[in-house]
Order: sequence, then structure tokens, then C-alpha cells
Amino acid sequence: MRRMSWLRRVMISLAGLALAGCAGAPSMLRPASSVSAREAWLFWVVLAMAAVVFVLVEGLIVLIVARDRRRGDEAGEPTQVHGHTRLEIIWTVVPLLLVILLFGLTIGTMRAVAAPEPREGDINVRVVGHRWWWQFDYPDYGFTTANELHIPLGSAAHLTLESADVIHSFWVPQLAGKTDLIPGAINSMWLSADAPGTYDGQCSEFCGIQHAGMRIHVIVESREDFEAWVSTQQAPPVEAATALAQQGEDMVLTGVCSSCHSVRGTSAEGKVGPDLTHLMSRSTMAGGMYPLNGAYLRRWLANTQEMKPGNLMVVRLAPDDMAAVLAYLTQLK
Amino acid sequence: MTADAHALTHPRPTPASPERPGLLGWLSTVDHKRIGLMYLGTGLLFFLLGGLEALLIRLQLARPGATLLGPDIYNQIFTMHGTTMIFLGVMPLAAGFGNYLIPLMLGARDVAFPKLNALSYWVFLFAGLLMNSSFVFGGAPSTGWFAYAPLTERAFSPGTGVDFWILGVLLLGLSTTIGSINFIVTILQLRAPGMSLNRMPMFAWTMLVTSMIAVFALPSLTVAILLLLLDRQLGTHFYNVAQGGDALLWQHLFWFFGHPEVYILILPAMGMVSEIIPVFSRKPLFGYRVVAYSSVAIGFLGFTVWAHHMFSTGLPSAALLVFSADSFLIGVPTGVKVFSWLATMWRGRLRLTTAMLFAIGFIALFVIGGLGGVSLAVVPVDWQLTDTYYVVSHFHYVLFGGSVFAILGAAYYWFPKMTGRRLGERLGTLHFWLTFVGMNLVFMPMHILGLLGMPRRIYTYAAGKGWEGWNMVATIGAFVVALSMLVFVVNLIRSLRRPPTHEADPWDANTLEWTTASPPLAYNFAEIPTVRSARPYWDAKHPDLADWKARR
Repeated sequence: MRRMSWLRRVMISLAGLALAGCAGAPSMLRPASSVSAREAWLFWVVLAMAAVVFVLVEGLIVLIVARDRRRGDEAGEPTQVHGHTRLEIIWTVVPLLLVILLFGLTIGTMRAVAAPEPREGDINVRVVGHRWWWQFDYPDYGFTTANELHIPLGSAAHLTLESADVIHSFWVPQLAGKTDLIPGAINSMWLSADAPGTYDGQCSEFCGIQHAGMRIHVIVESREDFEAWVSTQQAPPVEAATALAQQGEDMVLTGVCSSCHSVRGTSAEGKVGPDLTHLMSRSTMAGGMYPLNGAYLRRWLANTQEMKPGNLMVVRLAPDDMAAVLAYLTQLK
Repeated sequence: MTADAHALTHPRPTPASPERPGLLGWLSTVDHKRIGLMYLGTGLLFFLLGGLEALLIRLQLARPGATLLGPDIYNQIFTMHGTTMIFLGVMPLAAGFGNYLIPLMLGARDVAFPKLNALSYWVFLFAGLLMNSSFVFGGAPSTGWFAYAPLTERAFSPGTGVDFWILGVLLLGLSTTIGSINFIVTILQLRAPGMSLNRMPMFAWTMLVTSMIAVFALPSLTVAILLLLLDRQLGTHFYNVAQGGDALLWQHLFWFFGHPEVYILILPAMGMVSEIIPVFSRKPLFGYRVVAYSSVAIGFLGFTVWAHHMFSTGLPSAALLVFSADSFLIGVPTGVKVFSWLATMWRGRLRLTTAMLFAIGFIALFVIGGLGGVSLAVVPVDWQLTDTYYVVSHFHYVLFGGSVFAILGAAYYWFPKMTGRRLGERLGTLHFWLTFVGMNLVFMPMHILGLLGMPRRIYTYAAGKGWEGWNMVATIGAFVVALSMLVFVVNLIRSLRRPPTHEADPWDANTLEWTTASPPLAYNFAEIPTVRSARPYWDAKHPDLADWKARR
């Protein structure tokens, strides 16, 4: 009895330890969608089956070693057993049955998580992977944004996945398994969520020097909040109100910035970096690595390579230009 | 006692080696034992180098936002860690044991093509040095050991690192092909009289299958990297999507080699374990034929599962299911082996030498790796866990817990044959437990990290995702493993400094290599024995219990 309770205490504290790491983790075991829930359920089933095999094999090892090591010094040889046909058939057939069962569960789950027919209210998003940020186009609403994907609660988001350069992979564990973005091909996947919130993910196919700096935030919000966000994004960019901002606008729209960045409805139509039309409506920057605010933006523009080494923006803004560009960018709400 | 049995039980003493003395003797040797030792020594050095790279990786990831290595260096290090461990560590170590042992186990005087054997070694050494020289000539490759196109195209990897990698891998493929053909011909042609295929030591079986796999899998890799070389150097467009190439072509060609490669790494290890366990259980290998044929089954099935590395690339569902089913199937012959080893130990007279500890450790850890592999054959689970630390954990349980544990066990087991000295058993036991505890500390947390959403190959991560603690545990574990390897190196050096005892058969073993002197004569056997079962030396020592008299 005492041994049981000791064992139980250890098990509980181990489970607690594992789960303690879980809070805040973008974990497939904290599913927030029907798809992830099915995948998590299947994982637990597989784990339970694996646990049985694990306990059987490791238990046999411990049993055999504990028992038969004492025979190590005995005189004479143990019985020379060369095989046992029935046993060998059993341990071929039983695993075979187990994997057939697993295969059935695989088929069932793949069907269950397949994309549903589009319904009223569903949204379409074109996802383009870039080194090292995400482009999200909302073709039905006519705008584009970056790194933060907004979807309305209760509807499905149908994503088409493309790449501008190398292979990337879109993965938000709490919402769905991953799908690759492959240059020259168009993949698709779908997302939905059970509850509002921000769900984290990141690129999960190695894509070069800043693979780690290509993070995803999916913001699931009520239909009203989503519609409000859509109208913000659809609005034309805020025009410069001060002289300083005006000066910054000229620099951004006609200077080097515009060769990579776009501001909708202006001459800045670059496609290499994220769209800046409503930059400040986003909460993160640099592929989701940093919070987006004036201070980080200043640091970024002073030396992007210090914050995200190897990224493709090699511009370093002179101190004289900084104030003007910052004044313009920070009002692009 | 028959003449054969007499030859088996009364090995002759060592005469002087006919080789040239000193360094020149080693440089010019075509003796399979010397080439084997050179493979083993070189493989060990590269293995330790790959281990140092692993320590750097773990130091960088110990804490969120660490700045020890920049992303560029980190990517070079993890690329070279994988490339080194696979091509320059585990494969040469297995080839080293194969070279040393296969002719001895078969009762042959050398491999079929001794000069090709030397060529195979020198090409391997040159390729390893060439690849690693990239660190000082403009930077090592930083595209990962599977070098996915189009990231490896010149547009995205303009440095010379990828070119070094291509040339190195091409040469290593050449070396392995030569070596494999040599093993195949040796095993099929040079067995002692009476040694039918079904009387070969299991290590010979697994080396035969491994070599076959290598010969059939490597062309796919060779083609893949030649096309890449053409793309990079001559401007062709095989993988260049903008010009009409196909990005996924690389993955198909690469994994058609890459998955069989996994079995190239694990089958020799299974063979080693199949030699060690019967000796220290004092029983024959349970279900010899089933174990042998399951290796053949694994060899065939290994060619039908490559796209399970590509479940998230958008392949059609029907293809996913075929590759899923085949991946499940491969678990069956693997499970058969595990149960056969356990049945071999069952009611045996176990002697827990260091070699046996590593062999048992192999079973215990390989099972975890195997179960992880089955979970990844479940397509929806794989969609979540592929390219995460869960996969890193899975294949390290197979490659470290499996291949490396078997190789370490083999080192303790065959060291007396190679050097005439035993390795220290007390240091060996310490070595085993440190490695066992350390490897679980490194890799078990990685299962959890994958489940918590941590992708592979990221040089840094943000705090607050629940990843910090487990990463720290893994880093501590890595240093425990490093310490265990230090113990191993100390054990090697100390044992080599002792005067040799020249025990021919220190473990009371079963196979032909133990019937000759330690270390063996240049010509291996004074008389080639006739073989009547898979345990010829056992038969000679136990005429009443001889295997060939047994019913099965």
C-alpha cells in the first residue's frame, strides 16, 4: 500500500511537471479547434497503445535481468531454446493487428479533419510564405496584411498556401496540423477555432537563416470585432498630418522603402517585405519576433540586422531621417 | 575431438605481422583488420566532433533568446552535426566493425577486394576532411543534412558551403558503394565450408542486407545531388521553380535514399546486438531465421516508405495512406526482433558485462524510438509533430539509443579481439550508466518539447511558451553524455596502455572470430574450419549441446 501511494505521488508530480510547462505553450495537446482536438485525441490513443507495449517490453527487460542475472555464476548451460513457432507467430500477428487498428483510426481521423464545404460566413485567405514573414491576403475584402491572421469565431478560414521563395510550413498547433508552402504549387488547409483568443505558431520547415524568426499569430475574434478589423484594413492609409510625418511619407513612398514595401493606393508597391498600409494595427513586427511600438520600430530602423540577423532588410536609417520616417510609420494605424 | 574442433579450441599464438612497420604500414595496408581499425578510429574522431557540435547546439538552446551562436553559425553547426553523425560517425563505425569482423566471422582470410577496401576508406577520409574544411573556406553548409531544394539553390544559398556538402556526399556515396559491393561479394563468396547463409552470424546477415540497401538506395541520392550541382554550377533548373523546375522532386529523390539510410544505420547495430546477447545469455539467438528474414523484410519495406517524410507537403490522401500503411508494416519485423532478443535472454545465464549492458540498453531505448516512429506513421499525428522536437527525439532514440548503444556495446565486446586487451569493466559500467541516464535526459524532454509546439532547427525561441525548463534539462543531459564519452576515451587509453593478455576467447563466445588469436594473425586462420551451425565455436566447445544436433 505504502509503495503504491509513493508511486502515485511520483506519477502525479511528473504529470504536474509536464503540464506546468504546458501553460502558454502552443501545444497540440491544448487543442482549440475540432481538427486539433481530433488529432490530439488520436495522439492520446496512440500513446496509450504505445504505453502498453512500452510497459510490456521494459517490464520484461527488468524482470529477465533481475531474475536471470543471479544465474550468471551457475555451473552448466541453460536450456538451449532455438525458437518457438507459436510464440513467433503470436508476436508477429498481434503487432500486425495493432497497426491495422491504428491504420483504421488514421483513415477515420483523416476523414474527420478534412476541409468541410464552404459555408456562408467562411473566409478565404491567401497565405504566401516569404523569407522570413507571412503575407496574408484577404481577396474577398481586398486588402493584405502580415504575420497576424484574423479569423471570425464560428466560421472556417480556407487558406491557400503559396511560397514566394523556398519551402515553408504553416503550423498553429492548437488549430491544426501543418501544411507546407511549396514554391510552384498551391496547397490548401482550413482553420477554425472553438474560442476567441490569440494562437501562436511558427514556420516549421527549415527555410534559411531566420527560420526561427517566422512566427504566426492567429487572432480569433467575434464576428463584430472581425468586421471592425476588416473595415480598418479596408480603409485607405492615414495621410500625414504633420510636416515631419509628411517628410517621412515622401521618403517612404518614393525612397528605398518602396522598393520592398507597399502602402496601398500609393506609389509604394514593393512585394518583398510586409505591407505597411495599416502597420500600426498589428501588435508584432519582424516576423512576429518583437512587439510593435515606436521604440522597437526605432531600434529596427536603426539596425534591422541587430534584431533579426540575416533578414533581407539591410537598410540602416540615418539619425536625421529617423524622426520623419517614424513619425509617418507610427501614424499608419 | 575432430580436427575441426581441435582447430577451433586450440588457436595458435600470434606470429609477427608481415605488414610493413610503422606509419607506412598503415598507409599502404590492404588488410581488412587494419582498414577496419582505421575506420573505427576515424569514425570515433568524427563522432566526437559531431558530439562537440551537439554540445554547441544544446548550449545555444539552453535558454530562450541566447546569443552564444548567431543564426548563421547555428545553422552551420546543426547541418554539420547531422551530416557528420550520419555519414562520418555511425556509418564508418559500422563499416569499421564490418571490415574487421566479417572475414573473421565467415572464416575468410580477407574481404573479396582488399585494395578496393583501402580505396573505400581513403575516399571516406578525404570526403570527411573536405566537408569539414568548409568551416574555414567560406563557411560550412547551413541547409540541414537533408538539404531541401530550393533552399540549396544558389539564389538562396550563394556561399560555397552547399558545394562542399555536395562533393563530400558524392564521394561518401562512392566510398559506401565500393564498401558495400565488397561486403556483398565477401559474404556471398567467402564463407567457410559448411557455412550456408542460414549458418552465418547474424551480424553478417545484417551487413549483407545493409550493403544491399546501400547499393540500391545511393543512386537516388547521387542523382539528386548531381542535379543540384548542375543547378548550382551550370544554371540548369531541375529544382528551380521560377524556371519550371520542381521543388518536391528533391524530396522524393532524397528520401528514396534517406529512409533506407535509416536502416543502413540501424541494421548493423541490430546485428551487433544479435551477437552480444546470445553470448552473455549463454543461449542461441531465439528464432534465428525469423530474425534474419525480418532484416530482409525491413530491407525491402524500407524502400516503400520514403514519403512518410513528406506527409505535410500536400500529397493526395491516397498516397498518404499507402505510405502510412507501409510505415506501420515496417514496425512488425522490427517488433519481431525485439521479442526475439528478449526470448534469447529469457532464463539465460546472464552476465552483465558492459557489452551486455549496452546491448540491453539498446533494446530498452530502441523500443522507445520504434514506438515514436509508429506514432509518426499516423498521418494526422504526423501533421502535428513532423519537423518538431518530437521527431528529433524519435530518431535520436533510434540512432543514439539504437545505433550508438550497439556500437559502444560492440566496442566493449570486440576490443579484446582487436587489441588483445579487455576494456575496463568498472569504467565501462560507469560509462554505460552515464550514457543511459544522460541520453534519456537529453531526448525524453524533446518528446515533450515537440508536443509543446517547438519546431526543429530554430536557433532561438521566445520565453513564456513552456519550453525553457525542458530545454535546460536536455542541455544538462547533453553534458552528462559528454562526460560519459570522456569516461569512454579514458577507458580506451588506459586499456591500451596495459600490456596485452592475448585472450583468444575472453567471453566464451560462439563465432569463428574468437577461435583465432587476439589480435588475429594477418591471415586470420591457420586452418579454415568447417561449420555446421550458426554457432560453430559453441558446437566445438559443447559437443553434446551442439546446435546442429538440435531439432530446430
